[in-house]
Amino acid sequence: MKIDRDEARRVAGLANLEFDDAGLDTMAAEMTKILTYIDQLSTVDVEGFEEREASVTPMRDDETRPSLDRELVARNAPAWRDGLFVVPKVIGGE
Amino acid sequence: MSELLELPWSEARDQVSPREYVEASLRAIEAGNGALNAFLHVHGEAVPGVLPIAVKDNIVTTDMPSTCGSRILRDFRSPFDATVVTRLRARGATIVGKTNMDEFAMGSSNEHSAFGPARNPWDTERVTGGSSGGSAAAVAARMVPAALGSETGGSVRQPAALCGVVGLKPTYGRVSRYGLVAFASGLDQIGIVTKTVRDCAEVLGVIAGHDPLDSTSSREPAGDYTAGLDSGVKGLRFGVVREALEQLEGEVRANFDAAVEVLRRGGAVIDEVSVPAIGYAIAIYYIVANAEASANLSRFDGIRYGHRSERARTLADVYSESRGEGFGPEVKRRIMLGTFALSSGYYDAYYGRAQRVRARLRHEMTEALRGVDALITPTTPEPAFRIGEKTSDPLSMYLSDIFTAPANLVGIPAIAVPSGFSTTGLPLSLQFMGRHFGEQSLFRAAGFYEGETGYWKRRPPFVAG
Repeated sequence: MKIDRDEARRVAGLANLEFDDAGLDTMAAEMTKILTYIDQLSTVDVEGFEEREASVTPMRDDETRPSLDRELVARNAPAWRDGLFVVPKVIGGE
Repeated sequence: MSELLELPWSEARDQVSPREYVEASLRAIEAGNGALNAFLHVHGEAVPGVLPIAVKDNIVTTDMPSTCGSRILRDFRSPFDATVVTRLRARGATIVGKTNMDEFAMGSSNEHSAFGPARNPWDTERVTGGSSGGSAAAVAARMVPAALGSETGGSVRQPAALCGVVGLKPTYGRVSRYGLVAFASGLDQIGIVTKTVRDCAEVLGVIAGHDPLDSTSSREPAGDYTAGLDSGVKGLRFGVVREALEQLEGEVRANFDAAVEVLRRGGAVIDEVSVPAIGYAIAIYYIVANAEASANLSRFDGIRYGHRSERARTLADVYSESRGEGFGPEVKRRIMLGTFALSSGYYDAYYGRAQRVRARLRHEMTEALRGVDALITPTTPEPAFRIGEKTSDPLSMYLSDIFTAPANLVGIPAIAVPSGFSTTGLPLSLQFMGRHFGEQSLFRAAGFYEGETGYWKRRPPFVAG
């Protein structure tokens, strides 16, 4: 599978990762090499084998329980005011 | 260097006070860490404990930072302890420090740590393996008698092999992952590094069992893991995986053949078994694990915890610039691969396909294990490589996990035990893979092999203190 700069840019956008053009080119070349190795899976006979496993991840009961201490949560927050996380404007532009 | 730390935990604990034991460990860490970089954080206080133990830095603790080897979590301090940490403390253990690791457990050499690589006590110019490289180096250099690591594709067994110590990946669901920072949730499992098989079995007894805080932790009762340790292997059957054998050459092959002979002399029956899909394990792993990682690591967005870019002016910039600055190159590579494999137009060809081949591998491994007590392979295809040797070729690094990744993909337990040394004096390792929740059989087999060979007693050239 060949990944070019535009495809790497598309994936970086989906993943919310920032690269410059040189970084995109390096990433595209590395992804191409790794995906070429992974492409051997396309030749494996998987007739009768399904994507989903029979076992399902068990879920806990939906019960109330104590949550984290706010003071301890605030300690790790990059920006915090009045018990809330502070973020920049959601809409870009001036 | 302390004689006490030369002994397995199961012997040392009866000869020493909890205060002396922890103090000896902290002294060894202080003496050796400058050279080995095995620890990212050391506990400042010598809290007396019946077991001084190190935990990997992706297992959260309230009294020390938990960075996961990443810049993005450089200052992170967890508001809670991981369940394994709570259990260890309840049994009188002291967490003496947090060990170095590849960033977010992504790597096989510890070179992807944002804080520099840990170094191998057998040759400090060589890698420890990874991602739990600090844990393996700390035990090998006699800084601690035991350490916890985590496994997604071999991250405990591979560094244990390269550092000449015992490494266990328990069955998926055997040990609670509450407080283990998630990498690939369908594969992750906390593992154990020790000098001896008995120590490993005893530590598993402390941390195994159901935890209401981790819904994937099994309700299957924990076993008495030391019960069969002295039972020998007479009557046990081991399956040599033909397709793994075909890839071996030179002294790794000779070492493996000699290990098989030890088991045979002990009265075990050796069968050859076939697992044709085993060669696809790395290709499957790098799709499945990275797909899950791309989703799990979306939580690092610069909002609630971790690094936030100073440059960011809008919310969208906070996400992409904080992640761009905070993550290292290997983590970005894996997030990119995982995002690609899940993206529209490629999902069926990559993620869906990998899961179907994984189902085939699971079927073949289960069939192979039906007729034998354990499957055996070398743990790694080669001993420790030089620092820098594989960093420019991610794919060659990935292939270090060719014999370890299958157990993670299938969810079965596996143990790595020292099996001798290369002509250059580097440790080699034998792997046993068992049935789901069959840890007891693994300890029995590995314990017999260890008793016959005793390679754990050889000290590496670099011992702390």
